[in-house]
Amino acid sequence: MKKIEFNDIAPAFYSVLSIVFALITGAVILIFIGKNPLLYFGQLFFQGMFSPLGLVESIIKMAPLLIISAGLLACFSAGLWNIGVEGQFLIGAVLAGWSAPTLASLLPYPIYLLSVAALGAMGGMFWILLPAVLKARYDMNEIITTMMMNWVAINLVTWLVKGPINDPTSVPAQTALIPMEHRLSMIPFTSIHIGLIVGIICLFIMHYVIRKTTLGYEFRVLLSNKRAAFHSGMNVARITIWGLLISGGFAGLAGVSDVLAIKGLFQGDWNPAYGMTAIPLVFLARFNGWAVVPLAFFFSFLSVGGEFVARDQGVPIFFVHILEGLTLLFFAASEYIEKRRAF
Amino acid sequence: MNVPPLIKTAGITKSFPGVLANDHIDFDLFPGEVHTLLGENGAGKTTLMNILYGLYQPDEGHIEVCGQKTRIRSPYDSLKLGIGMVHQHFALIPNLSVLENLVLGFEGGFILNMKDAEKKLKRISEEYGQAIDPHELIQNLSVGERQRTEIIKTLFRGSEALILDEPTSVLTPIEAEELFQTITTLKNAGKGVVLITHKLNEALAISDRISILSLGRKIAELNGDELRSMDEKDATEKILNIMFGGKPIPECSLVEKTISDQVVLKLEDVEVMNSRGVVGLNKVSFEIRGGEIFGIAGVDGNGQKSLCEAIGGQRELVSGRIRFRGEDISRKSVSKRHEMGISYITDDRMNEGCVLDLSLAENAILRGYCQPPYSRFNIIDNTVVDRFANKLIMDFDVKATGPYVRTGTLSGGNIQKFILARGLSTEPGLIICSKPTYGLDARTVNYIQELLLEESKQGTSVLLITSEMDELINCSDRIGVLFNGKIMAILDKCDATPEKIGKLMLGIEE
Amino acid sequence: MSSLMDMALIGAVMASTLRGTTPILLGALGETFVERSGLLNLGLEGMMVAGAFASFLVGFKLDSLMLGFVAAAAVGMILGLLFGFMTITLRVNQIVVGLGITIFAHASCSFLHRVIFGNQFPIMFTAGQTHEVPLLSKIPLIGQPLFNQHWLLYLTFLSVPVLYFIMYKTSLGLRIQAVGETPWAADSSGVNVLKTRYIAILFGGIMGGLAGAFMSLGDLAFFVPNMIMGRGYIAIVVVMLGKWDPLKVFLGALLFGFSMSLTSALQVAGVKVSPDFILMTPYLVVIATLLIFARSTNLPAALCVPYERGQK
Repeated sequence: MKKIEFNDIAPAFYSVLSIVFALITGAVILIFIGKNPLLYFGQLFFQGMFSPLGLVESIIKMAPLLIISAGLLACFSAGLWNIGVEGQFLIGAVLAGWSAPTLASLLPYPIYLLSVAALGAMGGMFWILLPAVLKARYDMNEIITTMMMNWVAINLVTWLVKGPINDPTSVPAQTALIPMEHRLSMIPFTSIHIGLIVGIICLFIMHYVIRKTTLGYEFRVLLSNKRAAFHSGMNVARITIWGLLISGGFAGLAGVSDVLAIKGLFQGDWNPAYGMTAIPLVFLARFNGWAVVPLAFFFSFLSVGGEFVARDQGVPIFFVHILEGLTLLFFAASEYIEKRRAF
Repeated sequence: MNVPPLIKTAGITKSFPGVLANDHIDFDLFPGEVHTLLGENGAGKTTLMNILYGLYQPDEGHIEVCGQKTRIRSPYDSLKLGIGMVHQHFALIPNLSVLENLVLGFEGGFILNMKDAEKKLKRISEEYGQAIDPHELIQNLSVGERQRTEIIKTLFRGSEALILDEPTSVLTPIEAEELFQTITTLKNAGKGVVLITHKLNEALAISDRISILSLGRKIAELNGDELRSMDEKDATEKILNIMFGGKPIPECSLVEKTISDQVVLKLEDVEVMNSRGVVGLNKVSFEIRGGEIFGIAGVDGNGQKSLCEAIGGQRELVSGRIRFRGEDISRKSVSKRHEMGISYITDDRMNEGCVLDLSLAENAILRGYCQPPYSRFNIIDNTVVDRFANKLIMDFDVKATGPYVRTGTLSGGNIQKFILARGLSTEPGLIICSKPTYGLDARTVNYIQELLLEESKQGTSVLLITSEMDELINCSDRIGVLFNGKIMAILDKCDATPEKIGKLMLGIEE
Repeated sequence: MSSLMDMALIGAVMASTLRGTTPILLGALGETFVERSGLLNLGLEGMMVAGAFASFLVGFKLDSLMLGFVAAAAVGMILGLLFGFMTITLRVNQIVVGLGITIFAHASCSFLHRVIFGNQFPIMFTAGQTHEVPLLSKIPLIGQPLFNQHWLLYLTFLSVPVLYFIMYKTSLGLRIQAVGETPWAADSSGVNVLKTRYIAILFGGIMGGLAGAFMSLGDLAFFVPNMIMGRGYIAIVVVMLGKWDPLKVFLGALLFGFSMSLTSALQVAGVKVSPDFILMTPYLVVIATLLIFARSTNLPAALCVPYERGQK
């Protein structure tokens, strides 16, 4: 048997360490505002992880995170920074909300599901097409363009559900409700929808695409040395566009999954802002698909538990986002420790 | 001696992970002398100078400046003490003007006073005979002018000791001659000059003292006048004896070989733009036959890169045609050309030739990753790749522990060997080889030159771009001289002399 | 429509252009120096949010506008110091740190706002006051919109030539340009690279904090967590558009200020477009202008590259 050395578990160690530090800092903040951190974290863990209701909620919430992360694995491992997954998610979601009621009545269930999913994914890809082309053609910073497309998407979907695709029978700005029988089916014997399975499959496919395929190889070369990629004859523009399109597509798919499984319709001001969770998540996982799963569970448990506790103890839900931001900062700092150890 | 030395180091020791770069080195420099540091790459010359310049801190030992024991914590300290350094890669900011570069770091006040600076520059220019346009941007200057700016920069700051790190490696023979005159002027003005080089003839020509470093230790100090009084050959012999412990460097073997009649590569009026959008190659035509080594001489930046990339496929042609074994490849992609048997070994091995963050195995397939046996149906076969990388490491004696080692941990020479191994593994019909031995130690240089000659004997054509005159003349069958993107002349091996080539490199026609 | 109405509308557009420009310009001027020194501060958005909140909190609770602005500058500077420490001293990935700071600052402000104010969004009535410039404000048509504004607005516009001078005519500017382009060369010329970068990022943080403060205490008089709405990122775009030159950055910021004020003016003028649609335009303008003007960007060569001695 191979002996496990520190270097093998170091990435996991640093990720866990940054989470621990973030929780400690969080505790200090709680004390500062006069709350008892033991009580807070106690309830957070109990409700989010150990109560059946919280556990199921947390697992359900993982689905969109897993699907988005699968896409981010691709673009981040190519050194492409798609910061606009929120926008792509919303476009996918609004397309699902708009098309599902119509398609459901026209097509048999499996084909209907596949076509809505395809439409959503294509929507997400379409939403990142412009930043991708600009990046590939003019080397224009994709952080900026995807971020701008985000804001455009947020306003665009609000406008769409108020006007063109509004359901006239309901008062609030939203699309028509998808009947229960046309929603995503559940994993047998549970109340968890199959989005979770889809997410895990997507994640592992991308994990192996990056490690085993020529496209993944191209991504990795592009990340570390763009000039070498060009020099050795790789089509840098094509790789760039693929990397970004894949991430946009998965974000769109995540939108479909949430609308078909949970919301059942698309509402104008609905924006779960998964991007701000998924981006730190993929960093913490160090672009490793296997590591995304437990981290996704941790983050979704945080937000589910955070909501419970917010109600009971009056600690605003934003607190868990502080924990996310802190985790990311501590994680960044751990990069330094690791670099030092390398020498 | 009653004058204290400008600089004196005592027992300087510095180690880097895995290397003892400096091992108890004693070194000194007096005003009005040229003290040369001679040694192979990796002998520790540059490390020692970087310690003097405050870029590194020594592990042991101390430094005295003008008889005072001091610590040099940063280049700022060093400059304050009157030590100026001219780096191999010029420490100039390309998008600032000459004058701005001169004052940078020692502006003498919050608001820049350019008028005074210009006056000071004028005074220095007159005193040392070094003219330069103060308002030109560095990026518009030639290499020789940049070096002059660097030297003026040290004088501008009142440096008494100047360290020149391999100053001639980027210069043409005529520019180098001018530089030596400048050094003599500085010496006569009472400045101390440290010259770092690995070229024996330079060291012999100008030094008052020569210290020889090897593997981080100072192994000898010779007197320049004494050496010059000897016969040149004997002096060279003596130094080589010290440097290599009696093992002479084998000369490039001149083996008879046959050059076939088949034209492998043919360029017809090729024109390309370089990366700055200026004409890179101007109607270049030549041909290379099977088994021929075609050398390209030229001062850096006269179209060498454009030429390599035009043939390798990285750069689009504006006009003209390139044929490989009779087939027009002008519009073919890089990977297509590679498949056809063109192997381009770049001079920028760290940035273009390999990916430092990836393993050797991953780098081994940088060119062939989408072809069997390395990948099938877009799935990479890792066992095949590992075996291939291992074979490259074994066959070319690359010093690495295995195919999973991160490439960045290898030394420059070993990376170059690995890249060459990869380039030759496909049994190419044409090798484009740009500065294959730049910055490598004598043994590796020799190994690589032998390798290229061996390849050419087996019928492979080689386009050899190099700035080393010896390498060019020893290895090439014919030599083309590039100047301003134009081929000035093509010389046969038998009429090529360094003087002739040197003149053509500067655009002077016969 | 009467011509009097037209005049009023033009005046309103002018005034709101200036007010819309100010926060972006403040952030962008700071970021110009930051990027010139080789750092890409994606935390600017977070610094602006933190500045807006800190200034409102301190200003409202202590009933002192001045302390509010000081608090904003201080908070911006602290976040700048954090960014600097992580990226300059620890040399870790600037993008991760920038995003981390933005997420952290945004969440903290939303959190603290909820803790302190609950679901209330109180208004500070003394905030947002304007100051008339004597004589100039009496000029017909342009006097009121241009010369009856908040003091920070005047200061911001006046700082443009000052910062231009600092960038190109002082040793600090020279050093900042040098460390962002070829840090090792600057180091070996005797410039303290790390110190120079710290100065730049601290300045950037202060400017970011003030930009937020202008939003909550200068232009408006309240704080809502989403009020910055990507202005920090727009400021980064403006810096790129302006090619790291304070004067051109000023023009870029003005363009955005104008497109923002136009959106509200169109509504006032009764043009029948959905407000959501109009809200998209500034962001679309960003992308369009990037397309038109910034095709060839000469980024500072060492942008996003940490400096470590002995590594060229």
